[in-house]
Amino acid sequence: MRLYDPRVTIVETQALTQRFGSTVALDALDLQMQPGVTGLVGANGAGKTTLLNAMLGLRVPTSGSLTVLGFDPQRAGHRLRANVGFAPERNVLPDEMRAVDFVRHLSEVQGLPRGEARNRASDTLWLVGLGEERLRTLGTMSTGQRQRVKLAQAIASDPKLVLLDEPTDGLDPVQRSEMLTLIGQISRDFSINVVLSSHQLEEVERVCDNIVALDAGRLVACGPISDLIGAGDGITLELVDVAEPPGSVDAVEAALRAGGIDVRRREATLALRGAAFEELCDRSRDAVAAAGARIRRLETRRRTLEDLFEDAAR
Amino acid sequence: MSDTPAPNSTPAAAGEAAQIIDRGYRSYDGPRTGLPGSIRSVVRYSVRHTLGLGRAARHKILPWLAVVIALVPAVVFVGLAVVLDIDMIEDEILPDYHEYYDFITTALFFYCAIIVPDILVADRRNGMLQLYLSTPLQRWSYLASKALAVAVALAVLTIGPVLFLLVARTIEGSGPDGLIEWIKIFVRIIAAGGAISAAFTMASLAAASLTDRRLFATIGVVVLLWGSGFATLALVEAADMSEQVYAFDLGGIADELKNRIYGVEGMDPFGAPESRDEDAFEPGAGREQLSTRFVVAVNFAWVALGSAVVWWRYRRLALSR
Repeated sequence: MRLYDPRVTIVETQALTQRFGSTVALDALDLQMQPGVTGLVGANGAGKTTLLNAMLGLRVPTSGSLTVLGFDPQRAGHRLRANVGFAPERNVLPDEMRAVDFVRHLSEVQGLPRGEARNRASDTLWLVGLGEERLRTLGTMSTGQRQRVKLAQAIASDPKLVLLDEPTDGLDPVQRSEMLTLIGQISRDFSINVVLSSHQLEEVERVCDNIVALDAGRLVACGPISDLIGAGDGITLELVDVAEPPGSVDAVEAALRAGGIDVRRREATLALRGAAFEELCDRSRDAVAAAGARIRRLETRRRTLEDLFEDAAR
Repeated sequence: MSDTPAPNSTPAAAGEAAQIIDRGYRSYDGPRTGLPGSIRSVVRYSVRHTLGLGRAARHKILPWLAVVIALVPAVVFVGLAVVLDIDMIEDEILPDYHEYYDFITTALFFYCAIIVPDILVADRRNGMLQLYLSTPLQRWSYLASKALAVAVALAVLTIGPVLFLLVARTIEGSGPDGLIEWIKIFVRIIAAGGAISAAFTMASLAAASLTDRRLFATIGVVVLLWGSGFATLALVEAADMSEQVYAFDLGGIADELKNRIYGVEGMDPFGAPESRDEDAFEPGAGREQLSTRFVVAVNFAWVALGSAVVWWRYRRLALSR
C-alpha cells in the first residue's frame, strides 16, 4: 500500500482562468486539493468539467497555472495521464465491446503490459461488482452497470489519482449509495486519491474528505469538509402553525428579522443564524411567546454545503 | 468423526494443492509500457476492429468480403495452374504482378469507402476519443496509431495477395530468376503496396475526420477516390486540358506510382515520358505522359494534404466544455 505525505498537494492552481469567448468558465481559481476523496461541487455549468479537463491537459487554460501530482498538464501531459484514471460524465460507450475487453484495452493504453491488463481487468470488474457480468457487451448493460464499468476502467491501471465526473448520474438511490461506498473503498483500501465531481451536495458530504465548491466558475470554498461544514451554526426552529392567532409563524419570522437575526424559512421551519447560541434561543423564545405560536422542535443547526453556496450567493 | 483421513489432509499435500483463485484488486508496482505500449494497443485494437475480429458476425461480413475480393482471384489462378498442370507464365494463366492490382483496387475502394471511416468516426461518437486522450496518448499519437492501423489493414489487401502470387510462382518454379530478381520483385510488392496504402489511408481518414456521420464520410471517400478520377478524365479527354490534371485523380495517380515502381513496359522511371498513340482512347492512359518525379511528388503531396486535414480537424476538436 502506498502512503502519501499528508502535506503533499494533489492539485494546485494559481489564478487559473478559462474563457470560452465571452464566457468565463473558470475565474482566477486559487485552490489546493489534498490527498483523499475531494468533492468538486457546484451546479451544472459551475465549471467542474472544465476544471477536470484542464487537470487532464485536455484544455489549455487561458491564464494562470495548474499542477496535478506535481506535473504541469500542458508540458508533461502524457506523464501525468499515465498516473491518472478518468471516468467521463458522458454515458456513451462502445456498445459492441465486452466489459472485460473494454477495461483491458484501456488498461493497456494506460500503460499496463498485456498479461497484467488482462488479469487486472477481471479483478477490477469483480471489485466493482460486475464479476459475473464481465463477458457481457456494454450495449446490453444498464446505466448503473455502465457507470461501474467506467469506474473500473479508471482504476484498473492502479492510478495515483482518479477523476470521476458525475459518477452517480442516472443511478437510482440504491445504486447511488453502492457507488459512493465503492468510491470510499477505493480511496480507503487502495490509497487512490479521488476527485469526485457532483452537483449532489449530500453525496459529497457523505463520502468526501475535502471539498472544492464552485459557483459560475468562481471558488466558493476549498478545504477539509470537517472545517467547512458540520459544526454548530445557529439553530433550527420548527413551529406549529396554529390557527389562533393566525399567521403566528409569519409574526415570529418578522420579529426575529427585526432583531437582526439571519432567518431562512422553509414552510414552518426557520434556520436562524447571526448570534450566539444562547442569544438565538432567548430571542426565539421571546418571539414565539409574543406571537402565540408553539414550538415543535428546536435544535442546534449543522452547517451544510448548501449554506456555503447560499452564503456565496449573498 | 470419521477415521478415514480426508484427501490432501497433510500440510504438505494441502500446500501442493492450494491455489489462489481470487487474487482480487491490488496495487501494481510493476513495469509500465509507456507511450509505445499505448500506441501498440490502439493499433492492435483498431486493426481488429476494422477486420471485424472480436465483434458480432455482421461486422465481419464487409471487411472479409474485401479480403475475399482481393485474395480469391490469386488463389483461383494458382489453383487452376496447379490442378491443370500448366505453365503459369507461358500460358498466361496468371496476371503479372502489377496487373493483379486491378482486383486489389476494387477491394481497396470498397474497404476505404465503407469500413475505414468508422475507425475515426466511431471513436468520436462513442466517447472513446475522450477516454483515449485521458491516457498517455496525445492527439498526434492517437492519430498516428489510427493511421498506422488503417495502413496495416490496407497492406493486408495490397501486399498480401501479390505476395501470395510471388510465393506460389516461386514454389511452382516460374518465379523470378535468381535471388536478386526475387528480392527486387519482393521490394516492389512492398513499396507499391505501401504507396497505395498510404495514399488511400490518408484520403479515407481525411474524409472521416470532417464528419461525425459514417454515410457522409463514405460519400467523401467515394468523391475523393472515384469522383476525382471521372472529373480529371473528363477535363483531360473532353476539355483537352494538360495531362498534369491527372494529379487530382487520387486513385489514378497512386495506381500510376505503382506502375512506375514495377517499371512497367512503356514507362521509363525517372526518364523522359514515352510518346503516346493519340488515336487510341484508354481511360487514364494520359497518366503515362507524366514524369515519374511528378507522380512521386504528387503522391507525397496527397498524403501530406490528407495528414494536414486530419491534424487541422483534430487540433480544433473540442472534446467537451
